[in-house]
Amino acid sequence: MSSFVEIVSPSYLLFPALLGTMIMGLVCPLVGSYLVLRRTVFLGLTLPEIAAAGVSFTFWLQQTGFLPQLGESERGLGMIGSLAFTFLGMGLLGYLEQRGKGMAEGRLAAAYALAGGLTILFMVFNPAGQIEVLNLLKGEVIALSQGELKLLAVVFGAVFIAMLAFYREFVLISFDRDLAFLLKGRQVIWDVLLYLLAGLVIAFGVILAGPLLIFGFLVLPALAARPLVRRMGAFFTLSSALGLIMAFFGFYGSVRLDLPLGPTDVTLGCCLIFLAYGLSRLSARLRAALLAALAIALSASACAVRSEAPVPAPETVQAETVWLARVKNSTALPLILPANNPLRSLAEMAGKLPPENYRQSVMDLLRRDLQAELERRGFHIALPEDKDARFTAFSSDRDNALRVAREGRLSGALFVSEIFRWEGESQKFVRALVDFKLIRIADGALLWSRRIQRAVPTPSATHLGQASSDAVKAIVSELFAG
Amino acid sequence: MKLQNQNDRTSPAAGAGALPLVALDNVSLGYGSAPVLRDVDLAIYPGELVGLAGPNGSGKTTLFRTILGLQPPLSGTLVRNCPLANFGYVPQSAALDSQFPLSAAEVVEMGAYGRVRSYRIFPGAEKRRAEEMLGQVGIGHLMKKSFFALSGGQKQRVLIARALMVLPRIMVLDEPLSGVDEESRRSINDTLTRLARERGLAVFFSSHDLEMVQRVADRIARIQSGRIALEGRPAA
Repeated sequence: MSSFVEIVSPSYLLFPALLGTMIMGLVCPLVGSYLVLRRTVFLGLTLPEIAAAGVSFTFWLQQTGFLPQLGESERGLGMIGSLAFTFLGMGLLGYLEQRGKGMAEGRLAAAYALAGGLTILFMVFNPAGQIEVLNLLKGEVIALSQGELKLLAVVFGAVFIAMLAFYREFVLISFDRDLAFLLKGRQVIWDVLLYLLAGLVIAFGVILAGPLLIFGFLVLPALAARPLVRRMGAFFTLSSALGLIMAFFGFYGSVRLDLPLGPTDVTLGCCLIFLAYGLSRLSARLRAALLAALAIALSASACAVRSEAPVPAPETVQAETVWLARVKNSTALPLILPANNPLRSLAEMAGKLPPENYRQSVMDLLRRDLQAELERRGFHIALPEDKDARFTAFSSDRDNALRVAREGRLSGALFVSEIFRWEGESQKFVRALVDFKLIRIADGALLWSRRIQRAVPTPSATHLGQASSDAVKAIVSELFAG
Repeated sequence: MKLQNQNDRTSPAAGAGALPLVALDNVSLGYGSAPVLRDVDLAIYPGELVGLAGPNGSGKTTLFRTILGLQPPLSGTLVRNCPLANFGYVPQSAALDSQFPLSAAEVVEMGAYGRVRSYRIFPGAEKRRAEEMLGQVGIGHLMKKSFFALSGGQKQRVLIARALMVLPRIMVLDEPLSGVDEESRRSINDTLTRLARERGLAVFFSSHDLEMVQRVADRIARIQSGRIALEGRPAA
């Protein structure tokens, strides 16, 4: 799954997240270029951290009752905190700069340390929302909703237009303040406008994508572009282009390899810097040839559609019975569904309650859906514990599973599943890593195996329990669809 | 301290009735409460070359910054008889940050930024004018080169071309010959003389090299012990 072609299709479930990332990748480097040129790169690190402290502070205020509970609009609330802290921080840093007390780097370092400390302290004060706040600060752009995407497009679009419209003023004020004063009068207006735009990008970006990704987008493309250009126009164009490349390939790598987006993008951005400095030592012709070859190789490998084999048909398995083992949970979490699980409510209503105090788990859901789908396809399914109650979950390790099956005198085929990762941090998606294997017990042949490792989108889920349930359905459907 | 826009002093060089473009009357200037220069009396008229000589750190740049309105005088009267936008300022090229990827043409085009409104595409006429200015200072062929890859003399000429782009009535040049080879010195001297003689521009430049100032300037303002010690035509 997830070739280039799939990812850029508007029908792709994570398409809004891709679009959001690319908007940030396009606009942030335009702002960050000025931070690089003005040698204030650390401002790009400190301001996102201050914004993160604002998010944490707002949620703490909400928990203490000073601010109303907004339910689904939690990101909106976070945005207010992010904006307020960003602009307050910028104002304070600007005031200290005017007074000229201490080293500029020292002020930024102290502000960074203070903001980082406050972020954690506000989170500690707010144990009820600790995980929620942590998720927001991680900035899972993958969970970007349509509404948030529109807001992002409007804010970043406005910043983009302003950066183009006032390009000359911003360059002049950054390069030669004295000439700017002679030609344009009070230069402080342009400084304020530039920092206002930077503040907007940082405040909105942090709540939607997290401080790490925003810092990466602000600074890394500009640092990579710098050694390759000799003209200002080319510098801004290349910075934005590299930001787009970083956003797209980072997103692609993150989805395909199931890696967190922020660290993936930042790592890619740093690779771009090394590549740029390497390329800058080559002649223009050789540079162009190398880049073209790299682009072709990347496109060829990424456009190739990886097809995974679906669960084989019953006749090819050549086994009368398929033993569907309990799903093994190898995560550190119990993976028990929340009490408001509607499936449990339905079961209660139907009078089919499991043993008292028993709550369904992700493993139960997965096994139930697998059984239903396998039976629908004509497999004769049996449950190991029906033969011997001592059977528990099977490991997905073939030798281990075979040994247990043979010791338990099972015959036919064995279907084992093992969950290594199941993180339903947001109701919008579940990060899953699950192994499935179908093994013939007699000769130990591995008839089929599959690993699902990705963020499974659950856009219609209204709570975490439903998100897990939807993710199970999506995974089972993918197993049988190939 | 008084700032005025009119002055009735006239230039002995430019003839009766000519107003000085800049006039300082008993001006003290500096940072904070401690003046760097005291009791400065100086007037600069159209068409004359005025050299400011003084050792490093004597207050030459401070005087220029005060004339350009970048910092207020501590006391005295400063009069400018042309708008600040008509001051062609040539800073020391070492003061500009080499982090900026700018071509020579882009640096020169900055001189026209005051005339082009925000959000407008930079006009082709101004681009052509920038090329023309680079040609006038003798480095038209370097317009696409990176500004910071140029030699000291070439950079100074680019900055002079940029100052010409503002359509100046007065040029203020801070150490234009510092770190410049002999050939570039001659070229810059010729350019400054031509600007004053042919275009009638007032040219006010500084140097720590008194001998060089004496070779080029019509009048010399010499800084000694925090005062402008000498003003008058150089000895023949």
